[in-house]
Amino acid sequence: MSDSILKLEDVCYRYADGTRALDGCSLAIRRGARTAVLGANGAGKTTMFLHLNGILRPTAGQVLCEGTPLDYSRHGMRRLRSRVGMVFQNPDSQLFSASVREDISFGPMNLGLEEAAVRQRVEEALCAVGMADSADKPVHNLSYGQKKRVCIAGVLAMQPEIVVLDEPMAGLDAAMQDELTTILEKLHSGGMTIVVATHDLDFAYGWADESVVMDAGRLLAHGPPAEILRQKEVQSTLGAAPLVEEITRSLSLIGIDLRAKGYLPRSKKELLKAISDYAIQEGKP
Amino acid sequence: MLTEQSAYTNRWRKVSPVAKGFFSLCGTIAAFAAGSPRTALLIALILAAATIRGAGIPPLRYLRVAAPALLFLAASCLSLVFSLDFGGTTGGAALYPAVAEFPRIAQVCCRSLACLTALLFLSLTTPLPDIITLLRHCKLPDTLLDLMVLCYRTLFVLSEAVHETITAQSARLGYASFRLSLRSLGSLLANLTVQVWQRSQALHLAALARNNDGALRFLESSHANASKSISIAAGAGAVMIALAVALP
Repeated sequence: MSDSILKLEDVCYRYADGTRALDGCSLAIRRGARTAVLGANGAGKTTMFLHLNGILRPTAGQVLCEGTPLDYSRHGMRRLRSRVGMVFQNPDSQLFSASVREDISFGPMNLGLEEAAVRQRVEEALCAVGMADSADKPVHNLSYGQKKRVCIAGVLAMQPEIVVLDEPMAGLDAAMQDELTTILEKLHSGGMTIVVATHDLDFAYGWADESVVMDAGRLLAHGPPAEILRQKEVQSTLGAAPLVEEITRSLSLIGIDLRAKGYLPRSKKELLKAISDYAIQEGKP
Repeated sequence: MLTEQSAYTNRWRKVSPVAKGFFSLCGTIAAFAAGSPRTALLIALILAAATIRGAGIPPLRYLRVAAPALLFLAASCLSLVFSLDFGGTTGGAALYPAVAEFPRIAQVCCRSLACLTALLFLSLTTPLPDIITLLRHCKLPDTLLDLMVLCYRTLFVLSEAVHETITAQSARLGYASFRLSLRSLGSLLANLTVQVWQRSQALHLAALARNNDGALRFLESSHANASKSISIAAGAGAVMIALAVALP
């Protein structure tokens, strides 16, 4: 079985108004990996995601699923979209029904499943995102974060192998972001391949196995975040560096070289632990 | 929003919509079967009592929801009470009360009131998604029901957008004078038109991403003891119709 589940080969896409959204983009999404796609607004993240789900078709190049070029027929798209779930950025643009349970059932019903199977999938998806208690609430009475969770549940109920989330953290407060990260972790530990577009460098640095940096429709860098997000060119494109990375670098300037001691912190929690361990080692508890 | 609030919070929220729809239909039939205004009023009272006492809708909220329809009904009844006569001896138009028609007018008005309470019973006890499920059972065309689903959902999304835009416009003195208000309303409408178009595009993409190929299909909500509820509703409805037929 191929290691990359989805692959873009030299994909170009031009919108009807002439905007070149993707320009020779090549990328392989590794099976079971957590991939964070970073880039400024207009870098082409959403356009690339729409290609992964077969909603957009490349004007040049091709998209492959498990080594086979996508079949854009009705049947082919049905098969692809049952494997690749997509969660859009704005929940109000993707929730159809005013009832939480009904909306989650939309995808499985489209798959033509039996009612009992749909019911079971809906309940499982509700539990997976922690929304079982709100299943009977009307969608318009939910908070923004809850609506996002309903959107994720709607995709999970289709039981896809890959979930693509377009800026899932946008508009969420810190607590909700933590909750969403926990949900993503749970899905990943269940073997799901997750691709996330984000502007949150700290989240990408701490969470992802692989990071993809895009700029003006092109793929600028692709690799482990600890490597990629430390590159000067990438940091200059993104306009920032991960905070943990900056603190680690600043500490090394005043003689506290965590990397030299073998610590490679990627999150706030890991950084604090590294500093604490370092202090103990240096006899400064 | 009051109707919405009542539909989601009333005591009979979990009762099968088929049962509630059936009871409401029986109420309407009883209203038409009522032989006198007094009987029609009794039917209206029974239906209002079922809504207020049975489903637990606060009386004040009930009246607030009913007020616009009651005003409309009152205006219609008044227009029936008075007749215009163009063939008078003076040759001009004359307005006079149609005394001879009073019994029939009373019958029509009371019957309309009873029908109104039957509809209020359904709308105040049943959330719209459940009513749509009920209509789907009644084999209404899918396209019409899909439109209802989308309109109902979009209503809340757009009302939020309207609220946000008005707040933003007010914060920049958009409604400081009559002239500015007209201008702001115009730009609000233009902005909403674009938003509607953009949102419909986004919904289309979201539907495609979830494997949709046309009709919007959802899981129907399940209701515990549905057959028992339907039996009770049918029994109560039959008694109401019998009462309407039996009473003079």
